[in-house]
Amino acid sequence: MTHGVEREAQPPAPEEVGLKANAIGFLDALVIGLNATSPAYSLAAVIGAVVALVGVYAPGVVLASFVPMLLIASAFYYLNKADQDAGTTFSWVTRAMGPWAGWLGGWAIMMTGVLVVGSLADVAVRFGLLAVNLDDWADNEAIRQPLAVFVIIALTALCVIGTEASARVQRVLILAQVAFLLVFAIVAISRVYADNGLPDSIEPSWSWLNPFGEGGSPLTGGLLLGVFMYWGWESAVNLTEEVEDSATAPGRAGIWSTILLLVTYLSVCIAVVAYAGTTFLAENADEEESIFALLANEAMGGWDWVVLLAVSTSAFASTQTTIIPASRTALSMARRGALPRQFARINPRFRTPDIATWWVAAVAIVWYVVVNQISENALFDSLTALSLLIAFYYALTGVACAVYYRRHLTESARNFFLIGVGPLVGAGLLAWLLVESVRDMADPENSYSGDSWLGLGPPLVIGIGITAVGVAIMLVWRVRSAAFWSERRGVVDPALVPRKSAAGKES
Amino acid sequence: MSVVLGYDESAGAARALGVAIEWASAFGEPLVLVFGAAPPGLGGEEYQSHYEAVRQMGRTALGRAVRTAEEAGLETTVEILDEKPAEALVDAAARHSARVIVVGSWSESPLRGALLGSTPHKLLHLSPIPVLCVPTTD
Repeated sequence: MTHGVEREAQPPAPEEVGLKANAIGFLDALVIGLNATSPAYSLAAVIGAVVALVGVYAPGVVLASFVPMLLIASAFYYLNKADQDAGTTFSWVTRAMGPWAGWLGGWAIMMTGVLVVGSLADVAVRFGLLAVNLDDWADNEAIRQPLAVFVIIALTALCVIGTEASARVQRVLILAQVAFLLVFAIVAISRVYADNGLPDSIEPSWSWLNPFGEGGSPLTGGLLLGVFMYWGWESAVNLTEEVEDSATAPGRAGIWSTILLLVTYLSVCIAVVAYAGTTFLAENADEEESIFALLANEAMGGWDWVVLLAVSTSAFASTQTTIIPASRTALSMARRGALPRQFARINPRFRTPDIATWWVAAVAIVWYVVVNQISENALFDSLTALSLLIAFYYALTGVACAVYYRRHLTESARNFFLIGVGPLVGAGLLAWLLVESVRDMADPENSYSGDSWLGLGPPLVIGIGITAVGVAIMLVWRVRSAAFWSERRGVVDPALVPRKSAAGKES
Repeated sequence: MSVVLGYDESAGAARALGVAIEWASAFGEPLVLVFGAAPPGLGGEEYQSHYEAVRQMGRTALGRAVRTAEEAGLETTVEILDEKPAEALVDAAARHSARVIVVGSWSESPLRGALLGSTPHKLLHLSPIPVLCVPTTD
């Protein structure tokens, strides 16, 4: 009488996962690509610091930081092809380089998510208040910080409930934010040429694109922040899946979102430098958080709320989209036995990893509040420390890619360069950046705020602290549960390696 | 024809299972157990882990329900669909030409249900066939 047929519609077979042709529309794909990097927030958070570090060469640094990102994105692309079932860096590094490296990679990803949430909420609240002309509130920590904490809690609740009511709204906002940024850039640059910018405005010059203009230490600092700007962009790369053999929407959108991102960053960066001029920027060097707001006000006059609102919504949206991956990494680690089982709990009603999500939020709130108490310039110290972690796990992923595919690198020139050399060079660049920045930050004089913690720059202390806590938790967990540590290194399944015959289809 | 039941681990679903078994037995028709496994939220990083975790939860839940239904002597089919719960139910109901879709409700205030997005609520709007909502026992 009984037949227990388990019909699994659309099983996650390797060749079916990922973006199928026309499965998502052009706009959707464009939005996914842009959403992952949240350009308005990244610009608002970082541009002041980058300009303060490298002056007029900021556009060059922004452009230069794209290079390691491009190389690492190739690693993400190929690793994703080989192992789509499990997820990102944590899973890949574990497979390629063993559980110890994998655990640390997963920890770094989780921590980047946790650390950035506070900064996102802070920016969302600050620019939100500025947009509605509550400037006093925006500068008042006693008002801004509780609001930011409230925002984190509210958005975490939304993540747990898994509501999608706002998905459509978010799409519109993401496209709008890019449009607003470009409007700002156009207005600012045209005012420079029409000579009604700020008194010290300077006309753009090609030499600004030279990243080495300011030399040495400012360059590494700038590049590190540049890496932060492009952080998340690699998920757009997976959209290029089918771009060569057919002009499908996702493929084109992946490329378009990249171009749009580069154009937006460069033009806003050039606009900021040109419009404000170096004197203005130097005079306001202490107010990096609000330099973007200040300029928006100067350039757009009564319309500045448009730019402020764009930044605010961008930060709101990415607070939510940051909590989700961080909690999913915890979920993924817990499912493999790399973290306590409870983190893998799925809420039966909402079908989201509720315990992992609330933990992410709780740590993020504690972090945000504590750092704001002890640091002169919490936002930037946090972001710089974050960039160290990002550089670390990106470099790890680049190496993992070459290691995982090591038996197939010499099969074709394509494999050799895109899977082997590219990711390794990217990893090398990031490792160099990491070492140089650590060396710079070891001297508090060079650190952003000039503070000294234990004789070191604050970001370095934060970075070391997070790594130390991670290693400690890892060792404790190693003693308490052996399951995850019995996983063995492996290599890619030869069937999944891109071949020449299939090259056209797979690129 | 058949009786389609949306099943998860919730208290409401447990009671709905009892009602669905009664109906299927009364009409002498097979029971189709459905679990929509698409996790909420857009794709993105580590989506696959989340997806696998939800599927696993569905398999465990349906495994228990199947045993109960088989003990009642019903012909039982299990479907774990890659869709959101409400869509999965409508889809399965169409394919099995269902007489009725049975779901457990969380017995909460309409406002809460609307805010949190309740499956029965969505189903009532989507379904072309009758929907039977079974409230939780207290």
